[in-house]
Amino acid sequence: MHKNLYRKEHLLFRETFKTFLTKEILPFYDQWEKEEIIPKEAWKKMGRNGYLCPWVEKEYGGAGLGLEFSFIITEEMAYAGVYGLMAGLHSDIVAPYIHSFGNKEQKKKWLPGCVSGDIILAVAMTEPDAGSDLSAIRTTAKRDGENYIINGEKIYISNGILSNLVVVACKTEIENHSPHKDISLICVEDGSPGFSRGRNLEKTGWHSQDTGELIFRDCQAPVSNLLGEEGKGFYYMMEKLQQERLVSAIMSQASAEAAFNMTLDYYKQRKGLHQPEIPIDANGIAEMATDIEIGRTFLNSLIYDHINGEDIIKKVSMAKWWTSDMANRVISQCMELYRDYGYLEDYKVGRFFRDVRAHPIYAGTNEIMKRIIGRKLGI
Amino acid sequence: MDFHLTIEQRDIQKAASEFAKGEFDPDAALDYDLRQQFPLTVWKNACELGFVGVHFPEEHGGQELGLLENVLIVEAFCRQDSGIGMALALSGFGSEMIVRNGNEDQKKRILPFIAHGEGIVTSAFLEEGYSLAPLATAAKISKGGCIVNGMKSFVTLGSMADYIIVVCQTRPDTPNAQVVILLERKIDGIEVSSMGEKVGMRMIPVDQVAFTNVRVPAENIIGQAGTGYFQLQNFLNEMRIKAGAMGIGIAQGGLDKALEYSRKREQFGKPIASFGAVRNKLADMYIDVEMARLITYKAAWSFDTGAPDDRVILMSKMIASKAAYRNAYEAVQIYGGYGYMTEGQIEHFYRDAKVLDLFLEPGQIQRNILADHITGKARDR
Repeated sequence: MHKNLYRKEHLLFRETFKTFLTKEILPFYDQWEKEEIIPKEAWKKMGRNGYLCPWVEKEYGGAGLGLEFSFIITEEMAYAGVYGLMAGLHSDIVAPYIHSFGNKEQKKKWLPGCVSGDIILAVAMTEPDAGSDLSAIRTTAKRDGENYIINGEKIYISNGILSNLVVVACKTEIENHSPHKDISLICVEDGSPGFSRGRNLEKTGWHSQDTGELIFRDCQAPVSNLLGEEGKGFYYMMEKLQQERLVSAIMSQASAEAAFNMTLDYYKQRKGLHQPEIPIDANGIAEMATDIEIGRTFLNSLIYDHINGEDIIKKVSMAKWWTSDMANRVISQCMELYRDYGYLEDYKVGRFFRDVRAHPIYAGTNEIMKRIIGRKLGI
Repeated sequence: MDFHLTIEQRDIQKAASEFAKGEFDPDAALDYDLRQQFPLTVWKNACELGFVGVHFPEEHGGQELGLLENVLIVEAFCRQDSGIGMALALSGFGSEMIVRNGNEDQKKRILPFIAHGEGIVTSAFLEEGYSLAPLATAAKISKGGCIVNGMKSFVTLGSMADYIIVVCQTRPDTPNAQVVILLERKIDGIEVSSMGEKVGMRMIPVDQVAFTNVRVPAENIIGQAGTGYFQLQNFLNEMRIKAGAMGIGIAQGGLDKALEYSRKREQFGKPIASFGAVRNKLADMYIDVEMARLITYKAAWSFDTGAPDDRVILMSKMIASKAAYRNAYEAVQIYGGYGYMTEGQIEHFYRDAKVLDLFLEPGQIQRNILADHITGKARDR
């Protein structure tokens, strides 16, 4: 069962990755947060060391490891509060579109770059008028000989500025069928004629993460860049959102655990120094620890089921909303144990506070998660 | 019992709200937040129109109004913009100790200075260890005045202030033996250093202030030496109510924005305000604002009667700061991705709201104090 989720080789991998993270990423992270961008070199460093898409088969340049190795990377990065270099998005959310729906040539062309970090991936679904309602997207792709001509705008796209390859959800047939049957996924490469980037948007947290606008004006993408079949994009996305939500839950759970452990250490240390003036809140701390334990148990069971190919759509929707709410609740309470110091950026709990506020919103809002659960319950 | 505001109070409410709508430019607010700048122009204008120091005596630049009227103004300001609202509300932080305990000379010197926007006054009481009795910052009292040594933390506006009102220990062996002292910031022996960037409330610097052999003349001692502890406790009580007012403002501002956005924003062919998930949130937010307002007005009213109800005052800050946090959180959620982006003009409400949970003391400490009251451990004053 999921108690045996991680074996010796996983623990070893985790330790090796932690060492890499501590040495190659963490010393620079505060600077990147200020600069509001991750250097491409850092992505390449991740890739060269085997920490991007480790699950990709050897024939495409990967290590052919299990998906759980990738999840360990995502988890460790969240523990460290490194959201900006979003390996989880690249490796476990976008690359799987190419891997599952791309043909052999496409995989040969792109996957080795995804593994090495030479290609940074993004997926572009959200538009100004299409957030929770994906079927409302307006970006169109019309065939013109050997090209698709893409027109439209995407917004809040993670890796929006750095990405070399963007999987773009477009309408290829305009309103001929149900809105769900019009959508196709087309890969647009950096430098394609008519493809440009808008602003790198300022936000509450995730400061080093480039969240951008993508603009397509008569953008040309070769027909050979279509992933899978025309008109199946909506179903492809629905299929892949299961894993996206699992990744999101892993990040929320790890954030809560990291902030809590940090706070507990601080609390014990301060309590010794200034006992009477620190909020005596053993109850609250016990409740937080319980929340975290429940989340961890649930999450690990889902990771196990997902890796074993089970349909976890209902449960992962539950985990996505619950862990992200829990993380916000726990971290907000952690700040109070720091008293005023919690509000100072130097104390890092505040950065967790700013960063995790994104979690109930992205990868499908928590309200959409509850809608999905409701549907699965037949209501 | 009468839950209505007087005509005068409603006029004040209306004037404050109109001022805030007219003068708080939303883009400028984001800019102040980003650059960590105090909204100087808005503050000057607010002073000019008499919104700062309404509770000061008339002969000292005020309107001799109560705390409730002050609450109405702070609420209206924070409702329009959490950052500017808090900056204005804290521009005379500590002056209450002069209003309540100062002599005529001190009032004449400081109160008009604040009310007319000539400068900033703040107070310094917190220290690294959080102990309020005894304090580590010491004042050695002699005939001509006193000498101050020590260090204060979390001094809001410390680097901008012209005057700092400092609470010091006079006798280390008697925890309550304290004195309140008015200090010009720019004199010898005072050193101010920033405590760094903050999650929110970024228009207001928060600083550490160190005092090394600072000589203070006797005329700068506020009230009786030795009564400092009680002056501070009364001031903190007044500030809890003011924090409650900031809380109502932020909670109401979050609701205003969430309502406007959810009625305009369409998904699945309908405004999102028509979906159950959003409607539930809006209803809860409305409840939270109403609860926070009821108890904070009651707290201010009790303060103005001259018999402040400590329990209601504690609850006011707890309820209003929670309401601010929850409503700002849910407003961000209703905005979705746009809510997390600075340009959505709601996320700073969320970052700002959190300070209210920390300011003065976090909810858990207030719960403990309240529990002391209701279990009989502490005697009511």
